[in-house]
Amino acid sequence: MRLLFLLAAVGSMLATPALAQQAPYLPFYSPDTVQVHQLAVTHRTAVQKYLVTPKSVSGEYKDHYKKIAQEACTDVYNTVRYSALLDPVLNPYVQRVFAQIQKANPQLPPVQLVLSRNPEPNAHAVGNSTVMLNVGLLGRLENESQLAYVLCHELAHIQEQHMATGLREQLTKIHSKQVRKEVKRIVADEYNISSKLKALALGLKLNSTYHHRKYEKQADSLGYALLKRTSFDTKQAYRVLQLLDQIDQPLTPEPLALGQFFGCANFPYPLAEAPAKPKSIFTVAAPVKTVMETSDTLKTHPDCAKRMRYLSELAQGQITDGPSAISPEFARVVAQSRLEAVQSWFDYDCYDHALFEALQLLRQDPQNAYLRSVVTLSLYELREHLLKHDFYEVVGNVSKHHHDNFNQLLTTLYAWKADDYKGLLACFAQNGSTAPAPPANEYALAASYAAAALSGEPTAATLKQQYLAHYQDGKFSKLLFPKPVSSKKSIR
Amino acid sequence: MFVKRTLLAASLAALAAPAALHAQTQTLDGISRVSRTAIEPVYAGNEVKGYVTYTKGDKADKKNDNFLLDFYDQDLNKVTNITLQKPAGKYFLLRNAFNGTAFAMYYYNAKDKTLELETYDTSLKKLGFKAIGELNRADMAATMQSFGAQGNDGDSGGGGMFGSMGLFPVPNYGFVRNSYEGTMKGYNLQMYDDKLTPRWRIAADPKAKFYETINLTQAVDKYILGTALRRDGVMSKKINPYMVAIEAATGKKVFEMPVETSTTEQLSLSSFTFDPVKREFIAVGEFYKLNDKPFVNKSQGFFIKRFSEAGKQVAVTNYGWHNQVAAAMPAEARQSLEDGFVNYTHSIVRGSNGMTYIVAEQYKVVGDGMGIAMTMLGGNASVSKGKIANMLVFALDPEYKLTNVKFFPKDPSVAYVPPGAGLMGTGFLGMYFRQSGQFDYQFTQKNDANSQFNVVYINYDKEKGEATKKVIGNVAFGDNGQFKVDKIDGTSNATASYLYPAKPGYVMLVDYLKKEKKMGMKLVKLNI
Repeated sequence: MRLLFLLAAVGSMLATPALAQQAPYLPFYSPDTVQVHQLAVTHRTAVQKYLVTPKSVSGEYKDHYKKIAQEACTDVYNTVRYSALLDPVLNPYVQRVFAQIQKANPQLPPVQLVLSRNPEPNAHAVGNSTVMLNVGLLGRLENESQLAYVLCHELAHIQEQHMATGLREQLTKIHSKQVRKEVKRIVADEYNISSKLKALALGLKLNSTYHHRKYEKQADSLGYALLKRTSFDTKQAYRVLQLLDQIDQPLTPEPLALGQFFGCANFPYPLAEAPAKPKSIFTVAAPVKTVMETSDTLKTHPDCAKRMRYLSELAQGQITDGPSAISPEFARVVAQSRLEAVQSWFDYDCYDHALFEALQLLRQDPQNAYLRSVVTLSLYELREHLLKHDFYEVVGNVSKHHHDNFNQLLTTLYAWKADDYKGLLACFAQNGSTAPAPPANEYALAASYAAAALSGEPTAATLKQQYLAHYQDGKFSKLLFPKPVSSKKSIR
Repeated sequence: MFVKRTLLAASLAALAAPAALHAQTQTLDGISRVSRTAIEPVYAGNEVKGYVTYTKGDKADKKNDNFLLDFYDQDLNKVTNITLQKPAGKYFLLRNAFNGTAFAMYYYNAKDKTLELETYDTSLKKLGFKAIGELNRADMAATMQSFGAQGNDGDSGGGGMFGSMGLFPVPNYGFVRNSYEGTMKGYNLQMYDDKLTPRWRIAADPKAKFYETINLTQAVDKYILGTALRRDGVMSKKINPYMVAIEAATGKKVFEMPVETSTTEQLSLSSFTFDPVKREFIAVGEFYKLNDKPFVNKSQGFFIKRFSEAGKQVAVTNYGWHNQVAAAMPAEARQSLEDGFVNYTHSIVRGSNGMTYIVAEQYKVVGDGMGIAMTMLGGNASVSKGKIANMLVFALDPEYKLTNVKFFPKDPSVAYVPPGAGLMGTGFLGMYFRQSGQFDYQFTQKNDANSQFNVVYINYDKEKGEATKKVIGNVAFGDNGQFKVDKIDGTSNATASYLYPAKPGYVMLVDYLKKEKKMGMKLVKLNI
């Protein structure tokens, strides 16, 4: 009955454009790929022009340089082509902040900012004209000044030509007479070549890391100087590093109450007790770190604590230490960025991350229809991959690199069986909604289809037709309704 | 880059390639050659708790190569690696074993013609080393035999009629190594502790007139259990199976008796276990016509015998293929019995609820028209070929009443029969098919609680007009009383694909791509 109501409602809702002012934010999607392709080509061309092969070097050096340059061009093209977020809200916002910085710093070369869908909290500079800002980082900041410092830091890398300098330094070292002689000697030795080459590579890596870290320090420093020329609050630079220091932590420290989301009277939660963490029979201790391998020696960036100390000295103590109040405007930016990040995890087939982030956000906003759609779609996809026996492709391993709350979800995902999902989804629908809501947008319609298909309800066919009728080039068309592929060749 | 987590960010840098981080997969590059035995599961009790790969590295010096042992946990996380410097091209890993406190690696050193044992604790710190030289001809033959065989089902007890060198882990005590006397006339069992200090040794009676081999099958309660086969001569077709229980602490044989307890019996022995609750030994095997020979001829059914710890027979029940078993068989399975298929028992497992499950696969030997024609023309081709067919699981309740026969049809596959072996008898050929890996059955997985079992087999689905599909079948059963089948599409474009046991609820698939020199290992979660 409830589904009939939903089906009846969906047609009328889809036919009526929602009022833009009142509509909740939905992750941006456009089937038009021309604009991102053109943008990607522009950035690829810029990197091509920037990474000019040096002349007075050896042939091997040139070949190596060309290869790296080619990879960098391909990488920047792919990154922009498949991740540029050209939405009407967040992108204009970050571009405005970026333009303010550029206006206050006319000495900077012409640089374009690309807002990326990448959910990882990160930003980076490519060549001499591209700054990439991940939406995952935008969702972890507290104000515009912090955003400005992140962008200033990346602009500093560009102003100092760190990419080209770093590449040349590294290649000069690798192709130096000394290293070539050493490689020749190792190969001529004939014995234990592998371990000797590994030791040499580690030495080169340490050398490269040393230079990278030198550049990061420069970028922190110059970025601060660039920020000072703007009207943004320079005290926030320190706070950015403080946030980075904690960025591996979840938004809220409490573990997810999965039983409350996915258990109900009709379908008792399938795991009476929290599943045990996998226990290894091995008790191999982590290798003892030498002085050369302290906690941050092999990272490209120095420890945040060191960077914070340095920046505090630079700012002569004029710093913001601890959380800052968030303005309503920036709070909206943060909230929308987080939704984009959730969608990105989903789009990159990382359904474990998508589910985790969506459930975290649902605790603060339990009625958010978009987040509920993502949870439904993630459950649907997880079950599909279980049935296809490629679950390992979409769910990560429990790892010390993850925080406990995420590991708890991973352990649970490995314990849930394909047969459990119908009950999990039914309870999730029952526990969250106060009233059955009609699928008012593409996400909701896709989720309605997924729920019906997973439960084996006949309405799935109708919902599929409706989806395809309204969203022929829709975001979920290929994922939910893939065209059958021809059978593979067998080997015995 | 404005990043803290360098590794994580690097993994996500190529956004066009979506991937879950730290997934239950491992891809190894630069692999120029691979065989099935390059990866060995590490068992702790019934469960797979990791894997060890053994590969040849670069040259260590003029005479030695670096050999690499890489250890992975049950989720395919790399644990560590060990580099050994051993004679170039002449050092082979035969087996690994884990007894709960120590790992043992069992090697063959072809340069010195020695068998070598190395043990490590769970932190992979070396505990002991032992080289065993002066191998006799039987030991050498069994060592060569061990190269092809893998310790499936966690059974690495060695021995058996075809002979192999085994290393049997015994929790809390150490490891038992088997060896042979003369031309496999007798056996030796040597128990070592975790540091490879000898604990005890037992051997077949050197004065005995018969030939005897032993296969250790289970360490349970205070016992190490085994099945011994006695024959009058090396070519004798009459094989007498014996049940043996050895006290793990002392090496004393506390139970040794023939499975045939009267002259009117002709029995083979497939499994010998101990029920610590009822304090009974349980023997399961097959029975034969009075004039037929166990293991060699076609069996008439299977039996279960129970014995007290004192060696007194408590009960015996026979289940004939054509009466008790046929009556319990589903209709779709009966045709196969009429078609002359016989059953090869692959494994017998006992659930924690007292249920016994017997896993069998059907096969038969048929004349090969092409082989006959070639022989007529003076060739040396085999005139027979084997046909491997469906899977069966027999379920017996705690009172050993046959309650269920489950039939799992699969497409028939052809097995090679060596020239002349077609006349050796159906039972013998069944053992040959098993030893030469020609059955579609792969292994049975058990959890530590003995409450869940999973039988894995391969089916080559040959639909007319379509490319052959490789389907990995999984039959799961256990204390919940349900039989569930889960089929994985194993068809791939890999140069070679292998299937390995994994942690409960999973199997591990390995694809080797020769051109790319890549080997991909992935843990596949089963829908069971």
